[in-house]
Amino acid sequence: MTEHATRHTPPEGPPGDGDVLLVTDLSRRFGDLIAVDGVSFRVGRGETYGLLGPNGAGKTTTISMVAGLIEADAGTVTVKGHRMGPARVEPKRHIGLVPQELAIYPELTARENLTFFGRLQGMSGTTLASRVEDVLDVIGLSDRAKDPTKEFSGGMKRRLNIGIGLLHEPELLILDEPTVGVDPQSRNSILESVESLSTAGMAVLYTTHYMEEAERLCDRIGIIDSGLLQAEGTRDELIRLTGDVDHIRLDGSGDTVAAEAALLALPAVEQVDRERHTLHLAVHDAPTAIAEIVTEATSAGMRLNDVQITRPNLESVFLRLTGKALRD
Amino acid sequence: MRQLWTMTRSDLRQRIRDKSVVIFAIIVPLALMAVLDLVIGDAQDEPIGPVTVAASVPAGDDLAAALVGALDGLGGDGAGGLRVTVKDAPAEQVRDLARNGEAQVGLIVPDGFGASLRSGTGKQVTVIEGDGGIGTQIVISVLQEAIDHLEAGSSSAIAGSRLGLTPAEVAAAAQSVAAARPSITLARGAASNEQLSMSGALVAGQAGLFLLFTVGFGVLALVYERDQGTLARLRSMPMRPGLVVGAKALVAFILGVVATSILLTVGGLLFGVDFGSVPAIAVLVLCVVTASTSLMFIVARVARTSEQASIAQSIVALVLGIAGGAFFPIAATGFVGTLLDLNPISAFIRGLGITYGGGGIGDIGVPVLIMLGFAVVAAAISRVIPDRGAGL
Repeated sequence: MTEHATRHTPPEGPPGDGDVLLVTDLSRRFGDLIAVDGVSFRVGRGETYGLLGPNGAGKTTTISMVAGLIEADAGTVTVKGHRMGPARVEPKRHIGLVPQELAIYPELTARENLTFFGRLQGMSGTTLASRVEDVLDVIGLSDRAKDPTKEFSGGMKRRLNIGIGLLHEPELLILDEPTVGVDPQSRNSILESVESLSTAGMAVLYTTHYMEEAERLCDRIGIIDSGLLQAEGTRDELIRLTGDVDHIRLDGSGDTVAAEAALLALPAVEQVDRERHTLHLAVHDAPTAIAEIVTEATSAGMRLNDVQITRPNLESVFLRLTGKALRD
Repeated sequence: MRQLWTMTRSDLRQRIRDKSVVIFAIIVPLALMAVLDLVIGDAQDEPIGPVTVAASVPAGDDLAAALVGALDGLGGDGAGGLRVTVKDAPAEQVRDLARNGEAQVGLIVPDGFGASLRSGTGKQVTVIEGDGGIGTQIVISVLQEAIDHLEAGSSSAIAGSRLGLTPAEVAAAAQSVAAARPSITLARGAASNEQLSMSGALVAGQAGLFLLFTVGFGVLALVYERDQGTLARLRSMPMRPGLVVGAKALVAFILGVVATSILLTVGGLLFGVDFGSVPAIAVLVLCVVTASTSLMFIVARVARTSEQASIAQSIVALVLGIAGGAFFPIAATGFVGTLLDLNPISAFIRGLGITYGGGGIGDIGVPVLIMLGFAVVAAAISRVIPDRGAGL
């Protein structure tokens, strides 16, 4: 554990112009439990940063401090240059929070929910009314705007939950496991929305324990476990950090011995194991090297029947960093 | 302020749409008042009906006549007193009249009653109790008292005779004792100047009891919102965190004042209770709502979940409501009595007793101080104790 924790270092220097969120050495404990332990990261404009970790890893506590819901025991959170805290007002103008729970009022209609939170954000008049209609359109609830949300399906409530976070067009959108308990169709719709927001220049902080979501959405990922940020970087950087390589399996017939020797000579190939008519290759960057590998094996006299590529993913990174599976 | 009002208005709208606050704060207490009034009210406020006494009294016996004459002092005009009618009847019919209900009391004074008293020999007076309720009991008590009085005169005569007084002196002494007024007199008065009628106590008690549930709808929304995630969203809004708590307190206060005012007004009309000075009642309502709202903030801090909050709220409401006299008056002395006096619900009911008895704002200082003191202490405690649900 200690070995992996040292892989991560806090962001250095003052916040850059592009930094919307800067988190430095953030810590929080509840009694004897250290929920968050010295977490640091930064999120820039137009960037989606993912906090990936299992349940109880410290993601929601980190989000709670970033959104100014609870006080940090140590460390700082800065949003657009403003120090965040429960009693701070200015930095909260720049954030939109989408809590993990369905944070909507069941007795109010979709429009009333949006209008209520819009007013608390300081919006009013035609600006608010117009923005409410825009968001209703974006989340696909315009035709159900007058219905009490207690009559909504789970997916509709999730979409409204996100819509409220977007209403005032925040510079930093914080989403805490927004797809938990959502059907595949609504889940895809939510992921598409997040992608389009990021493209539009919004900074997004996204927590999840779904590896696929982190891989699809996030420009950079912080792997968190037991309150510690174990590592962070792009997907490829994280995989390289663990030293994992891609694996290619070649099934066929012919001269596999000659093929083994030929393939070992290629720079991209690190290791070849032969098992009767099958070759197992450890390769750097399989998608790039595959064409050359197939050509070389064929030239050496191997007739290929099947080729399989296996690349390491964040699940295997997490396993290697923490010693446990992501869904443990 | 704009955000405070936005949250308050939205909360009120939700509580009204939810309807549970209307049911719990107004409909249930009014229904309970009606049921309790049927069960208790009739028994306690039973009117005293007229009493007919069938009397067989020997003619020409002045002491026997004096015995019946004692009933004349019972307020025979019927203006708020006991109306007693004495009906002469032969001795053999007196029992039948009492049995068949034509008379509620039968009285048979034997022949020679006066002479026997003067001579000191005993004669039996027969009193027959019919079916007349409290009025009958009063008449029998008065007759008993009159007999005792006459017997005291007789004893004086016997004692005088034994001391060697002349017959004229003995008769004068006996006459003097018989004519003497009691040295101890009883004056009619209320048990206390803070005493509500039974119906008034029911209305006030139920209003106080259900107020604790009503304000819970406002304050405990903090716990419900924490459970459903909206509290996190509210705290992420660009406003002071205290505004969220302030809005819940304001909602509780508005709901409490409106519900209590409705209960006192409608309850008063339904059960014929006039609580008196409206400004004084308004002050009492504002104070008891303030105290109850403060108390609910302690519950909100202690409860981890909405289920815990509901249970704690019910316990607090029932304990304070019953101890405060929501169903029946509770009397205690010493430390327990002091504790009961500090209960805001009992202070509220006591205050209404004062206004019911004609008191105004100047007379309700003690209950007002108790309620406001309770509010300050409860608010201070709610600030000091840790928020058990904050880490959830």
